[in-house]
Amino acid sequence: MRFQIPIGPQHPALKEPISLRMTVEGEIIRDADIRLGYNHRGLEKLAEQKTWIQNIYLTERICGICSHSHTTCYVQGVEKLMELEPPKRGLYIRTLVAELERIHSHLLWLGVAGHEAGFDSFFMYTWRDREIVMDILEIICGNRVHYGINTIGGVRRDLDEQQVKHILDSLAILRQRSEYYQHLGTNEPSFVARLAGVGYLSREDAIALCAVGPTLRASGVPMDVRKDDPYAVYDEVPFEVCTADTCDVLGRTVVRIKELFQCYNIIEYLLKNLPSGPVAVRAPRRAKPNEVVSRYEAPRGENIHYIKSNGTDKPERLKVRAPTLGNYAATIKMLKNGFIADVPLIFAAIDPCICCAERAVSLVDARSGQEKIISMNSLKTLSLKVSAGKARKREAEWPL
Amino acid sequence: MATVKTLIYLVIYPGLLFLFLYSTFVEWYDRKLYARLQNRMGPTHTGRFGLLQPIADFIKLMAKEDIVPDRADRKMFSVLPAVGLAIVFTAMLLLPVWNYSLDQPSAISFNGDLIVVLYLLSLPTFIFFLAGWSSTNLFSTIGGARVLTMLFGYEVPLFLSVLSPAVLADSWRLAEIAAFYRQKPALALVNLLGFIVALICVQAKLERTPFDIPHAETEIVGGTFTEYSGKKLALFRLMMDAEMVVAAGLLATVFLGGFPGGVFLGLLNFIIKTLFVIFFLSLIRATTSRIRVDQVVSFAWKYLAPLAILQLLIVILVKGLIS
Amino acid sequence: MKIGVFIPELLRHLFKKPATVDYPLQKLEVPRDFRGSPYLRPELCIVCRACERDCPAEAIEITATNEAEKRFRMVIHNDRCIHCAQCVDSCPTEAMLMDTRFEISDYDRHNLKMEWEYVRAVVKPKAEPKTS
Repeated sequence: MRFQIPIGPQHPALKEPISLRMTVEGEIIRDADIRLGYNHRGLEKLAEQKTWIQNIYLTERICGICSHSHTTCYVQGVEKLMELEPPKRGLYIRTLVAELERIHSHLLWLGVAGHEAGFDSFFMYTWRDREIVMDILEIICGNRVHYGINTIGGVRRDLDEQQVKHILDSLAILRQRSEYYQHLGTNEPSFVARLAGVGYLSREDAIALCAVGPTLRASGVPMDVRKDDPYAVYDEVPFEVCTADTCDVLGRTVVRIKELFQCYNIIEYLLKNLPSGPVAVRAPRRAKPNEVVSRYEAPRGENIHYIKSNGTDKPERLKVRAPTLGNYAATIKMLKNGFIADVPLIFAAIDPCICCAERAVSLVDARSGQEKIISMNSLKTLSLKVSAGKARKREAEWPL
Repeated sequence: MATVKTLIYLVIYPGLLFLFLYSTFVEWYDRKLYARLQNRMGPTHTGRFGLLQPIADFIKLMAKEDIVPDRADRKMFSVLPAVGLAIVFTAMLLLPVWNYSLDQPSAISFNGDLIVVLYLLSLPTFIFFLAGWSSTNLFSTIGGARVLTMLFGYEVPLFLSVLSPAVLADSWRLAEIAAFYRQKPALALVNLLGFIVALICVQAKLERTPFDIPHAETEIVGGTFTEYSGKKLALFRLMMDAEMVVAAGLLATVFLGGFPGGVFLGLLNFIIKTLFVIFFLSLIRATTSRIRVDQVVSFAWKYLAPLAILQLLIVILVKGLIS
Repeated sequence: MKIGVFIPELLRHLFKKPATVDYPLQKLEVPRDFRGSPYLRPELCIVCRACERDCPAEAIEITATNEAEKRFRMVIHNDRCIHCAQCVDSCPTEAMLMDTRFEISDYDRHNLKMEWEYVRAVVKPKAEPKTS
């Protein structure tokens, strides 16, 4: 018996609204479909009405977990537009925060993977230890989530000796805990039984479907913007690109744990070789008419910002491609022929940030299921035409 | 006098009132232990050490709006929680906890009550299935199907492992089995393997991690209970707690020598032994992650069932040796 | 693969103090540079309006109450504030600062408004603003 089950837009496995429609036979998924557009916020349009400085804080709010990724990506683009050269110390601190953010994101993901697999103790412990890195970020930046450390031409806050020492001490604890989680995550039989072989994505498929980040690297493709197109100070810092060749959720877990250790090495290197000097340079208020594409390796994968300036103090266009969007096509491939029980795990394994990826709205006819994309103006006229003088409709049928 | 005695037995101890209070306590114990194992605090503010939290939750749920879905089978949907609760409470009455002596067995103890308790403990599983099926929600239906699939896995090993001590004690009466192992405590060690198998099966029966598949919230929302709310959900939750007490009590009777010593000492024995069993149940819950339903069935038939049969073989051999 | 790899760790924590802080009864210290809510030191404000211009949330509002006397009124809408401290960075005279309060919720958003009425200060900007 085939039937369709809706996972989302409201579902306990999803922290944000998205609709996954599964056609299942018993417990096995035969077909999957992803519908976006439940969390569209109009950020790109809003960015056109704000100045370059104000937009830093707007792009920061694209995502809560990778807030530093979006600002860095944006700020790098703007610096290119304004032809600014941020001082070395500023870049080091920017990279430091980026790596701390990667640690916090990966620890968070480990916890989420544990929770989705029903392994709540693992979830509690990883999130407890994530507090250590959150505290470091709070000490450096003054906030725990939206760090607000980036500014055009450098960073806003400097590090002192005491903070450096505190970070190095905390890192030792984190390293020890991560080693324990690596041991636990690859040895607990019930956990491994849930992860291994689930959500298979072959190397060819991963490349063809444009997967990004740990999802791609877990399929054995060593692709990392930090290595391929170094930004900030990644060309000076020694580190390795972590890959796994199991192509499943276990591989994605292993890649993330390996990356944690790389993060610790990078941070130690950065702190030991921190140059002296100013942390920021003065930025002009306007940028010359030009356009730029900025790339950044966020914890979830490659993050792309396209910025176009027109000579004023506001951007003419800001286009954001969040890493989650790049992974959706691969997710459908991974979900097919899996079990319903694995849906939350497979979906969580791409570390989805749904509101990051919401850039479009499509209209679906509730009766026929037909989709179309129309302009805002015709949408307005349509809504006025349909709802004019009508009583509110009760008991609307769920368009399944 | 006999009527008063029966009434006390039914309503106060070990019947309704005691089981209600004790199962809320057990829920608190389970939650607190689970939290402490995870380095958390657990219930803290309601009552001393949060002891009244489960009762507060129960009262809160009782006061909530009670919704019956339009397409659900109204009668079935409403009557199931009460039936389930009644079944579990009946099973509790069969445990040898009070007035317990071999010379004057209480009216409720009879030869074969072990089998009856086991069957009464199987019925809640069907109640869950019917609850999921009659609410006609997609998630409930899947949950219901998972309940039944899991039942095929753990039921046989559970029966085998609980019956093997009975084979050794040469009796189908709970009171006599308990008395047998109290007289010869060394023989209880023979059943260690069976105890472990039974613990895992009880964990599956109570649908707790790693077997919380029928109501895995990240997969199928509330599973069988998706459509339940208000009073009915409160009764279901109470039923699951009471089931935990009864199942722990059954294991304590069969494997740990029952609860001797009259009313007060017997009560103390009951509490200590059930909490001992529940400690292991909580530890399993904290240690493992949820497995898939197909993995449950294959795990049960690959490992649990052979181990249970091995236990039966050991028991038969030992029985031959001592007789 | 081993059975019960997690058990030693779990049992070790059974009698340890919980990692959770009993929040409303106990409170954590915030770090020195914590970004709480912005406030104004009116004696230093030269009404350059840099904060008003740079505020991403448009939470700062400066109006002239009396042009002749150079009296100004500044309102910080804390209900709109996103606590980014850009106003502190933009201020050339260090008239804007952040406090370390973090429990600022209220039932009415209008209670979160902070107001100052002051005469424009005559202060020489101490340092160049980090970003103009």
